[in-house]
Amino acid sequence: MPPRKKRSSTAENEVDKPKKRLCSKKSADSSFSVKRCTTWFKTYCSAENDGSIGPDGMEKFCKDLGVEPENIVMLVLAYRMEAKHMGYFTLNEWLKGMTYLQCDSIEKLNRKFDVLNASLSDSVTFRNVYRFAFEFSLENGIRSLDKTTAIELMNLLLDGRWSLSKEFMQFLEQSKFKGMNKDQWYNVYEFSHHILPDLSNYDEDGAWPVLLDEFVEWHRQRSNKTSETGVDC
Amino acid sequence: MSGISKGGKKDTKMRIRAFPITMDEKYVNNIWALLKNAIQEIQKKNNSGLSFEELYRNAYTMVLHKHGEKLYTGLREVVTEHLINKVRVEVVDALRNNFLQVLNSAWNDHQTSMVMIRDILMYMDRVYVQQNNVENVYNLGLMIFRDQIIRFPLVHSHLRDTLLTMVAKERKGEVVDRGSVKNACKMLMILGIDSRSVYEEDFEKPFLIQSAEFYRLESEKFLAENSASVYIKKVEARILEEAERATHYLDKSTEEPIVKVLEDELIRKHMKTIVEMENSGVVHMLKNNKSEDLACMYKLFCRVPDGLRTMCDCISAYLREQGKALVTEDDNGTNAITFIQSLLDLKDRFDHFLHESFSNDRLFKQMISSDFEHFINLNPRSPEYLSLFIDDRLRKGVKGMSEQEIENVLDKSMVLFRFLQEKDVFERYYKQHLAKRLLLNKSVSDDSEKNMISKLKTECGCQFTSKLEGMFKDMTVSNTIMEEFKHHLQQSVTNLNGVELYVRVLTTGFWPFQSSLSKCNMPSAPNMAFEAFRRFYLGKHSGRQLSLQPQHGSADLHATFFGIKRANTGPMDLVDEGAASSSGKSLRRHIIQVSTYHMVILMLFNKKESWSYDEIKNETDIPERDLMRALQSLALGKITQRVLSKDPKTKDIEASHMFTVNDQFTSKLFRVKIQSVATKGDTEPERNETRNKVDEDRKHEIEAAIVRIMKARKRLQHNVLVAEVTEQLKARFLPSPVVIKKRIEGLIEREYLSRTAEDRKIYTYVA
Repeated sequence: MPPRKKRSSTAENEVDKPKKRLCSKKSADSSFSVKRCTTWFKTYCSAENDGSIGPDGMEKFCKDLGVEPENIVMLVLAYRMEAKHMGYFTLNEWLKGMTYLQCDSIEKLNRKFDVLNASLSDSVTFRNVYRFAFEFSLENGIRSLDKTTAIELMNLLLDGRWSLSKEFMQFLEQSKFKGMNKDQWYNVYEFSHHILPDLSNYDEDGAWPVLLDEFVEWHRQRSNKTSETGVDC
Repeated sequence: MSGISKGGKKDTKMRIRAFPITMDEKYVNNIWALLKNAIQEIQKKNNSGLSFEELYRNAYTMVLHKHGEKLYTGLREVVTEHLINKVRVEVVDALRNNFLQVLNSAWNDHQTSMVMIRDILMYMDRVYVQQNNVENVYNLGLMIFRDQIIRFPLVHSHLRDTLLTMVAKERKGEVVDRGSVKNACKMLMILGIDSRSVYEEDFEKPFLIQSAEFYRLESEKFLAENSASVYIKKVEARILEEAERATHYLDKSTEEPIVKVLEDELIRKHMKTIVEMENSGVVHMLKNNKSEDLACMYKLFCRVPDGLRTMCDCISAYLREQGKALVTEDDNGTNAITFIQSLLDLKDRFDHFLHESFSNDRLFKQMISSDFEHFINLNPRSPEYLSLFIDDRLRKGVKGMSEQEIENVLDKSMVLFRFLQEKDVFERYYKQHLAKRLLLNKSVSDDSEKNMISKLKTECGCQFTSKLEGMFKDMTVSNTIMEEFKHHLQQSVTNLNGVELYVRVLTTGFWPFQSSLSKCNMPSAPNMAFEAFRRFYLGKHSGRQLSLQPQHGSADLHATFFGIKRANTGPMDLVDEGAASSSGKSLRRHIIQVSTYHMVILMLFNKKESWSYDEIKNETDIPERDLMRALQSLALGKITQRVLSKDPKTKDIEASHMFTVNDQFTSKLFRVKIQSVATKGDTEPERNETRNKVDEDRKHEIEAAIVRIMKARKRLQHNVLVAEVTEQLKARFLPSPVVIKKRIEGLIEREYLSRTAEDRKIYTYVA
């Protein structure tokens, strides 16, 4: 929506009343309106995407918000919307998310960013967002995430939250695996949550996916090598 | 009777008088003096002048009048005094001179006199002793003897030393007076009254210590000087000797402890040394088939705990070493037959030892089994070799083996089969080899084949053998079909253009071939004949598909060799040659037995004189590898087999090389069989292929097992699942936990299983 023109304070009283009736207040505690939300939606959607927001609309949306599309906030937003495909929002999804957040405008959404970001520090929410991210990023019909996407996505979510995330990315880069499936994805999170950085409480019988077994071995070999060279010095 | 008359004087004459109820001091003393005197006389062996009745009565009187204590104490004093002053002195005097005899006679005298004393004082025994809970007379005597004589320091130590010295002397081979030792031991036993403690303390303990020391030294000496077998015999002899010694002149109860000492010193402490002795220990015995010596060792080592285990470990190490050497691949190429035969021989050898030397002891049996299991699986080709071995035995032309002998060999092969971990690999190879045998008609007898299959069935269950049995059935059914086909030909007067056709119909699932992979261009004559059959067969069984398998199958061809056309070497020759070629003298006819591929290749030469490799390849469509093989056996085999000639005459085959019929071909036989170049076992690439197929099958079997188990149990923890899967499959192969884990992940991805939400280590079955 176009930005509001500023009114002079003297004229306010007279103008306020009719504004109230029209429900077009500027202040933050104006109530949420589905209609407004829908209108807002329509500014991004395009016909070629069957009335959903497509990649172009998404780009515009992000620009308006002032965030990059790779920002984790977008992911949380998509999670709240229960969006099915990355890069696309349907009207229902839009409404669902925005209703949850009680936002029907850019400004309101901007203000909610802190809340969205903060919600990630709750481990349950984070886990759900993490899990959601996998299915969200899948290509149509394919059940596993290709290597590059997996690494990017994982980096986005786990960098800064897991001390071994950089090492794990390195491991994935040099390993021969081509795609990550849901079970592996989920288990990486569990791993990051339960296993100590020095891998001391990692048990081989812990039913971890073979991928993680290999990571542990790779990591241990590396640390042995570095510690050996350390001694020589 | 009148009342008591105090002061009534005692008459020395014996008169029946009134029984005094009380006794005065004097009277008592008198009685006691009498008795004391009597006792002393007895001790001096002067008992003949004594009256038993009088003494008994006097004692009786004393006790009756409540002077038992005086009597008892007095007795003790008298005996003690006698023993100290008389007997002990004598014994000590004799320390250096006939000690044991003197001691023994003192002991005998003591016993005799005590018996008599006891008899006199029997009333006291019965009444006073019982009432006052003191030792009875005889035992009192024993105790005093023990304390005053035996336990007197000089005597004590001298007695002990004397006895030990005598034993030591006898051990060295001297003759000693066993009788006196026996007496001494008996005495000590008796002196323990109701226990053997005196004997034990005074003799047995020091005896055992001395013996231990003695045998310790002796064992070291023996070991240094002797071989293991001699040592063992010596030990056995010593054990017998000591047991006999204990029985004969020590106390019998000493037999057990002394034998234990021997076992400890001579055997247990040196177990390893004996077993591992160079040039005479267990290994030497095994190498030189000394089953008797091993039996002796076994008997001996049975006696000590861990003795058998020590032997077993040593034998196991040797067996493993031998086995490992046998299964290591030869650099020159391993012959499967000798490989397996040598393993069978090794097993026979050790079974012989088990039976002859170790009396079928279970520990040794288990050891042999586990060792065989260990090294036979060191070589991953063992299953293949075993199958080849059995294949060899079941083929025609195995000379000189009766049915019974073949049966024995097969039984022994089954024993080896049980040791294999990768039984599924064996199954695969067995199928291949059986197929070849059946199709090429090479079995020695159907009975032996069926016998083998039933053995496998007993071992592994129906699933293993159902396909094998299917193969047999196909053969019988094919025979029937051919009968019907012949009949059909006669009736319908179909002409196969001179081709005698024999078809075997194989059910796809049973036989280990990939169907429809090998196609080639059949020459027209056989092709038409086959089509006639196909029509016939499909008429009977509509809905089935027949595909020809050219890589198996054989053909007999009529071949005409026109003789050579030699090049001109000179005018003289020309005339001769002309004569030769026109007379047709060198024209030869043979029947050659070849494989189907050979037939396809050879029939090309009816169309054109010479063909290049490439041309042959294109014309026949035979796969490269098979084509190479076929051409090699036709052109590059032994001289008597070279039906074709190749130009250039190199060993290898290249695309441009030309092939022609070798008109120079000669053979003494009319029927010539062209051997295939096929190797006995798999080549390297074939082996890899088989291994890949096995791995594929295993993946499926593991997944099937996982699904089966999860369907039944619904929820299972990871470790438990892995264990169950391993358990179910171990009769066929040993799956590694990593592989199982991978399969579980695969099944999770395909949504057969999932992890439970509460615990990611627990899986649940997804219906």
